[in-house]
Amino acid sequence: MLTARIRSIRQKLSGFNSKLVLPLKFMCVGGVLFTGIAISGIGDGDGDIDPGIDPGETVSDYELNEASRFASQSTFGLRYEEIEKIANKRRYLWLEEQFNIPPTLHKPIAEDLITRQAAGEWDEFVRNPLKLRTVIHRFAWWQQTMTAEDVVRQRVAYSLSQFFVVSDRAIVLRLTPYSLTSFYDLLLENAFGNFRDLLKGVALSPAMGHYLSHANNRKANPARNRFPDENFAREVMQLFSIGLYELNIDGTLKLDANGEPIPTYDNDDIREMAKIFTGLTYAGEGHYWGRRYFDHTDAEVFSLPMIMYENRHEPGEKVLIDGTVVPAGQPGMDDVEAAIDVLFNHPNVGPFFCKQLIQRLVTSNPSPEYVERVARAFNGETGSPRGDMKAVLRAIFFDPEAEIGTWSQTFGRLKEPVVRMVSLARIFNYTSDSGEYYNTGYWLELFAKQHPLASPSVFNFYQPDYSPVGEILDNNMVAPEFQITTSTTVIGITNYIGLAIFNENQLFHTFRPHFEVPRIDLSEYEELATEPDDLIKRLDIVLTQGQLSQATKNIVKDVLDNVDDVKERTQIAIYLILISPDSAVED
Amino acid sequence: MLNRRRFLTHSCGLGVAAATASTTALTLGLTRSVAASTTDGYKALVCILLAGGNDSYNMLLPYDHDQYDEYEKIRSDLALDYGSLLPLSKLSSEGRSYALHSGMEAVRQIYEAGDLAFVANVGTMIEPVDAKSIRAKTAKLPIGLFSHSDQIAQWQSAISYHRSSSYGWGGRMADLLDPNPATGLSMNISLAGTNLFQTGAKVSPFTITNRGDGANTVWSFPEFRSNGINLHDVIRDLLGVEEENMLRREYSRRLKGAMDNRDKFVNAIRSTPEFVTEFSDNNFSTTLKQIARVIGARRVLGQGRQTFFVQYGGWDHHFNVVGYQESMLPILSNGLGEFRSALQELGEFDNVVTFTISDFGRTLTSNGQGSDHGWGGHHLVMGSAVNGGSMYGTYPELSGSSPLDVGRGIYIPTTSVEQYFAELALWLGVAPSDLDEVLPAVRNFYSPESRDAPLGFLV
Repeated sequence: MLTARIRSIRQKLSGFNSKLVLPLKFMCVGGVLFTGIAISGIGDGDGDIDPGIDPGETVSDYELNEASRFASQSTFGLRYEEIEKIANKRRYLWLEEQFNIPPTLHKPIAEDLITRQAAGEWDEFVRNPLKLRTVIHRFAWWQQTMTAEDVVRQRVAYSLSQFFVVSDRAIVLRLTPYSLTSFYDLLLENAFGNFRDLLKGVALSPAMGHYLSHANNRKANPARNRFPDENFAREVMQLFSIGLYELNIDGTLKLDANGEPIPTYDNDDIREMAKIFTGLTYAGEGHYWGRRYFDHTDAEVFSLPMIMYENRHEPGEKVLIDGTVVPAGQPGMDDVEAAIDVLFNHPNVGPFFCKQLIQRLVTSNPSPEYVERVARAFNGETGSPRGDMKAVLRAIFFDPEAEIGTWSQTFGRLKEPVVRMVSLARIFNYTSDSGEYYNTGYWLELFAKQHPLASPSVFNFYQPDYSPVGEILDNNMVAPEFQITTSTTVIGITNYIGLAIFNENQLFHTFRPHFEVPRIDLSEYEELATEPDDLIKRLDIVLTQGQLSQATKNIVKDVLDNVDDVKERTQIAIYLILISPDSAVED
Repeated sequence: MLNRRRFLTHSCGLGVAAATASTTALTLGLTRSVAASTTDGYKALVCILLAGGNDSYNMLLPYDHDQYDEYEKIRSDLALDYGSLLPLSKLSSEGRSYALHSGMEAVRQIYEAGDLAFVANVGTMIEPVDAKSIRAKTAKLPIGLFSHSDQIAQWQSAISYHRSSSYGWGGRMADLLDPNPATGLSMNISLAGTNLFQTGAKVSPFTITNRGDGANTVWSFPEFRSNGINLHDVIRDLLGVEEENMLRREYSRRLKGAMDNRDKFVNAIRSTPEFVTEFSDNNFSTTLKQIARVIGARRVLGQGRQTFFVQYGGWDHHFNVVGYQESMLPILSNGLGEFRSALQELGEFDNVVTFTISDFGRTLTSNGQGSDHGWGGHHLVMGSAVNGGSMYGTYPELSGSSPLDVGRGIYIPTTSVEQYFAELALWLGVAPSDLDEVLPAVRNFYSPESRDAPLGFLV
């Protein structure tokens, strides 16, 4: 199996620069480390790839750890038996299977809850119906994230929600569950589609239209000192497509003759772009210009893309960033298409978007070469059309730099609180008899200051270039997730992990007795806990991908030796490993 | 100078001895007033970030009829009713009269009592510029003007000519004034998490919340106690592991630092007596209350200089600016009133200066629903040390053809953030000769050797 794995690496590498020699650090089956071995030095050389399962062969720890790391990068966490399946099957085949699973959408959950609430199912909510209404989109998020089979799609969509940011801190969005569930569904539906569809979908999304205020954005009326709203026009360039500066394909800055970065646009460009996004308003039956009040049971208004009111659209010529002239007098939606084309085809999009996606899924500091390889996949150089998300994801996950053999001192990322807690719930079998996984997210926000679709602003929870003072900054590295890791939250999440494990049902916060609160089920680990070493070894696979340091193992082992009760031993082992830096950081 | 620096570092919080030595330093030819350069006694700055870009032309408005008419014409559907405004009794130095938004009665009263000043039309700049040079694209302008992410950073870093600043001017002040506090607790305390303003090369903010005693401890669980295990000891062992990975090391440092600081902080804050002042039940007021509690504990904490950072967000009103400000400006105003009252109870109002910052001002013209990103904006500074009841800087004469207007009613700032911050930094105790370190571009707008105050609202 080891040679099979290396064959698969070589296969992937064959598409890249053949001179590539990686600072590899392979771990062999016995756990002994080899360092500095070039790719061509290992393997049996025939280059074939087995298509399917190796019947009857048990998987090695190495393969389990490799599968576990892949699961940790590409999903919200998988249980041991699922990791074993991936290890048996080959990751790339498993990923192709995942690509083919239809999306598990969030809106149907909202529909169900809204309908049942309207039918009076939860009497106690009648006094304060908002209590439920404002968290329905969160209930949907947790329900589907906990149970959906399209586990990669759910994780990728979540990463996309940190690139195309809308937030339930905007009160209208919080009060209209269909707005955010539909927005998220847009990300889910296009997570394995094309970036252009994502960009256009986001631009016309009613949730975004409200959030960045280009819904009901009117053409200029200079006589009355009224001009198009520039909010979305600015952020669609700065955040959702091309970024502030011209980039090389490897994500590094292009510099002018004076060594200065080259801005991609100026304020005049923003004003031109603002004209493009005039005339859009909410769709749905009985639509009208200027609508700003919504019935939360009205599914249409926040599910359908925004529509164009031509008489509100800026009619004149627009000149966009690359000098593309959008002619006067054409239909407004043609203007939108033209602007999306200009942005989508800008050479920055590949490196700008792909680098951030790598940061969310794999490592905070991808090498320029890694960014370039993924950006080339985005650009259509691996045989797929430009913007193809599957090509991008394959390039991200199966890059040699993402693989377990390439560990380095600076590799990896601090797991964001959402990922840490959801994966805890998924890996350790949080279950409910009713099948309900509804969570208001109260604990997560309280302890860790993060919740999906709840960013404080359009700039997400952290900036992609945030660099903590000290060693990381001194090495010109970044670590975005540390921006929300303060003296408050670092203790907060430690306590939250404790609650989730020792109190057994405290990870979810929901409205009792209307909804069942899921509970942890550690029985599969309690079976192992009679031998602390077995327990630690298993936890090392599922939680730290074989990267638990010997010193940490020793400390945990010493503690477990003082605990007789098997259940307590299990809980303590899981808790200590989860709160350790070894597990907080995925490296 | 080096000696002086070292001296300042060590003198902080040492009371009488420090005062004596500091006076000696002054007699050695240092030119600033005593107020600006001693580090005896206690002083704190409270920075309130109105995140999103407050539309301050609807917070502080012209009240003379000719100027109000211009205001009304330019702002069209965003203009506030003249009759609703709260006029300020004192005229500006140009003889102009101004008024506040109707929701800011508390601020009006503090202003009239002489404990609050306005600083008009402040913004980020690299050098003084005019509309002509901007149109000709010859002007040196801040990077990412009108962009949230850049401008919110530049107000905190006071560096607008590049994007790679990892430090804020509050952090740089702490690097100078108290880089290695004896208590181990940073002089920079944040109520809003990680922030650029309070981050220095040596000093990072200590983050607390407005809940409970502000800092939580790592909870133990019965499963540890019943087995005779001291969880905190175990965690300290885990965090003592020499990790090979850079990110793991950083995580260890953060968790260990938080645990170490928590106990001394909580013990201190519990020593502050209950306030008679009642704080409103909203996030902003409870945050200011928590700050007042920390200030009340400053002797126990052994801190002679502090900065606090508060974020009150949600001011990016492209939509419904008039409606949102109607609910948000009173929260700001009442919170300040309550904070002042609590500080007076503690006898610390003389020692604390509270000031606002924001991403930018906003377009005077409307987008039909709200206002867009602008540049210069108006700010307020509160404290009994403040020469209050006055306006500093220059409130622009509003006009459709104002020479300051760079389009859409975006006015070029007439006061730079450097001038604004220099006044605050000098007051806190930064020596004039160290001002370049705190505000690297200060000389484009103010000479630290000058005997004049940067703006005059404090010194």
